[in-house]
Amino acid sequence: MDEVKVMDDQKRDFSLNRPVKRETTQFIVTQLGGEQYGIDIKYISNIIRMSKITRVPKVPNYIKGVINVRGVVIPTISLRLKMGLPEDEVTKKTRIIILTLEQHESIGVLVDEVKEVVTLDEEHIERMGYEKDEKERFLSGVGKADGKLISLLDITSVLAEVVDV
Amino acid sequence: MDTSQYLDIFLDESKEHLQNLSDQIMELEQNPENMDTINEIFRAAHSLKGMAGTMGYKRMQTLTHDMENVFSEVRNGTFKVQPGMIDILFKSLDALEEYVNNIQQTTEEGTNDNQDLIDALNSILKNNGEVVAGGGAPAADSGAAASSAPAEAPASNDGNVKGEKWQEIKINDTERMLIDKAHSEGLKVYGLTVYVEEACVLKAARAFLVFKALEKLGEIIVSAPTAQDIEDEKFELTFSLIFISGNTADEIKEAVKSVSEIEEAFCAEYTAAAPAKPAEPEKPAETKPAEEAKPAVTAPAPKAAAPAATPAPAPAAKPAAAAASASSTKPAAKPVVNRTVRVDIEKLDNLMNLVSELIIAKNSLISATAAAEDNKGDNGSVNEQIEYLESVTTNLHESVMKVRMVPIESVVAKFPRMIRDLSKKLGKKMELYMSGEDTELDRTVVDEIGDPLMHMLRNSADHGLEPNDVRVANGKPEVGSIFLDAYQDGNNVVIEVRDDGGGINVDAVRNKAIERGTVTPEQAEAMTEKEIIDLLFLPSFSTAKKVSDVSGRGVGLDVVKSKIESLSGEVEVKNRFGEGSSWIIRLPLTLAIIQALMVVIGDEKYAIALGSIQTIEDVLPEDIKLVQAKEVIHIRGTVIPIIRMDKVLEIPSRGDEDNKNKNLTVIIVKKGDKQAGLVVDELIGQQEVVIKSMGKYIKVPKMISGATILGNGEVALILDTNALI
Repeated sequence: MDEVKVMDDQKRDFSLNRPVKRETTQFIVTQLGGEQYGIDIKYISNIIRMSKITRVPKVPNYIKGVINVRGVVIPTISLRLKMGLPEDEVTKKTRIIILTLEQHESIGVLVDEVKEVVTLDEEHIERMGYEKDEKERFLSGVGKADGKLISLLDITSVLAEVVDV
Repeated sequence: MDTSQYLDIFLDESKEHLQNLSDQIMELEQNPENMDTINEIFRAAHSLKGMAGTMGYKRMQTLTHDMENVFSEVRNGTFKVQPGMIDILFKSLDALEEYVNNIQQTTEEGTNDNQDLIDALNSILKNNGEVVAGGGAPAADSGAAASSAPAEAPASNDGNVKGEKWQEIKINDTERMLIDKAHSEGLKVYGLTVYVEEACVLKAARAFLVFKALEKLGEIIVSAPTAQDIEDEKFELTFSLIFISGNTADEIKEAVKSVSEIEEAFCAEYTAAAPAKPAEPEKPAETKPAEEAKPAVTAPAPKAAAPAATPAPAPAAKPAAAAASASSTKPAAKPVVNRTVRVDIEKLDNLMNLVSELIIAKNSLISATAAAEDNKGDNGSVNEQIEYLESVTTNLHESVMKVRMVPIESVVAKFPRMIRDLSKKLGKKMELYMSGEDTELDRTVVDEIGDPLMHMLRNSADHGLEPNDVRVANGKPEVGSIFLDAYQDGNNVVIEVRDDGGGINVDAVRNKAIERGTVTPEQAEAMTEKEIIDLLFLPSFSTAKKVSDVSGRGVGLDVVKSKIESLSGEVEVKNRFGEGSSWIIRLPLTLAIIQALMVVIGDEKYAIALGSIQTIEDVLPEDIKLVQAKEVIHIRGTVIPIIRMDKVLEIPSRGDEDNKNKNLTVIIVKKGDKQAGLVVDELIGQQEVVIKSMGKYIKVPKMISGATILGNGEVALILDTNALI
């Protein structure tokens, strides 16, 4: 299995050995449609290749179904549909990012492609104001790295809406 | 002595003894003359007392001791069991249970002395079994009683806190002959009580050395506990014996104390003061001078702990308890004891064997694959090993499941007592008949099932059974019967609560429902009897004319139903008006793994629990009829509605046109006495599936009860047919 496993050490580095002056956060950069989105690495427990998703009847369309990750059944959602983008097209680059929030509950999100890991200083992140439009609901800010702009996903608010359904 | 490590065992065993006592006292109420029962009660009370003493629970010990005294007198035939006595005994049991519960919550027994119960018990003793109202124990009386007792009892507590326990040794005729013979030969007979140090590890070895030392000086007639028990280390810190010797008491004492780790030895000449009735006269002596003499004589364990240098929880517990009572009530803490399952060693052995087999199977598989690589194409032995592995894992699964299984006895055992109390409270005569107490269920289910069952029994007792005079007028036996039957039925356990009372008055329920506005009169007219009865399970619906503290508050049956359903079970009611009703609870054996039928619908796979499937039918398309715009089929005389699963599950049609004329595969499932036919495309076969939760992030529809992982790693959903019907 070609799995990009995020090391636990990395997460710990982030919290323990961060420089005193500069707050840095690591993000996994993913491609969704024409844009790049960053997901805070601390929520990510695993990134897997596209696998067979079992459809669940009578759920909102952005819930793609459930997958088996090492013996655990994990629901999987489409970030594209969630953010009002066109339906996913599964390619060789399609990945499922397994996010684990508190209480060890996991959820998978479908993305077009996983690009890289970037480390952003707090000063390179522009926090979003309170006025967010439909697409910006799930963003916590915009980061600048190597001249590119990366929209930073607010994972908790993405998932909060899933739970509410 | 640190007793905290024994707390679990103490609680477990106390509960067992209490239950046993309760059962036996019930039995005693029926057969007051049964000596076996009385002996059993005596033994249980005695063990309980000993355990409480060892653990340093003083109040509990005192109360048990007084109960034991009463049983002891009954056993000796001094007086007979009387109804009033049974009531007091039951109250004492309740008090003991409260102690045990307190201990479980806080490790302390609480501060309730239950003096009234102790007084009541003592007054039974004093009045030779008569239960006197008030039941006080004036000091003058007890003094008189004490003086009538042999002189040895007061002697036993003159100053030393560690009573000379040898006085409790009962002498039988042979031993008495030996003693008499010794006296006639000019030898002296001594009573000896030896205390071993608390820190002593090999108590039995020390005891052996003591015996050895004594044998040089004379002859041991009898010991308590018995020599065998002492050898097996079945004694606490002390043992006593009667000993014939020509030496003086001091010499004997010296000999005993020369053995190391012996803390104290008491030796005195055995006065043949109690020749006639060896056991009996001691008892009043112990109990009558109630507060002082009793702890000294009968409570050696905690008393022994007191002077010892080691900080023992026994004395420590007392100030703590006192402090608790002084400084308001203690905050409710979570129970100090973990939930455990006591496992039959045989089950564990079985498990161990299977695990070793599994390892063997794994190893053979490794070598088989290696062999297969050598001569390609021959997979025979690999397949053989896989089959082996399969059978081992199946057995392993069953064994693990069994470890989690406990008999429902632990829950239902308290019911006879409850019915007895209810019978008194409600003024109705009734009997509870139970069967299948050894039926096993998953521990988690057993823990939860108690309250619903209790509720249903109370319902039967209160609403079900008519008053005795009405029963007689209706030509029924005066005494009402309630039945609790448990048995296994396939992958389910069925628990049935039945009574021969009046049954459910459907019209009364109907009227009540209309009155309450639950249904309109028109709706009520159209409802079947079964639908009316189902109304009883709605919240706050009670037909009891008056609210009693037994039932009738209308908070019951809906709770029963939701509890049972949360355990994946179901409740069914069978009612015969005038003849009684029966409430049938059906519970799955286990919640984690089920036998399922795998089916294909469209191009998706689903699992259907085998337990709900009745038959599978091959149906011609033209056999499907329309009734009120719903599709039904006729099978062996019954009309069964069919459900097109692809529609319900929103599965895209396979699109092959020839399907239209093909036979349909219909799975007939049942829920209670309702049936439905599920149309599926293909059957894969029966399979054991592990039920997995789908996580909290998606809210799955009710008809999906979970998911499972197939052999190829794909996820298949499990259909809950109950939600479909």
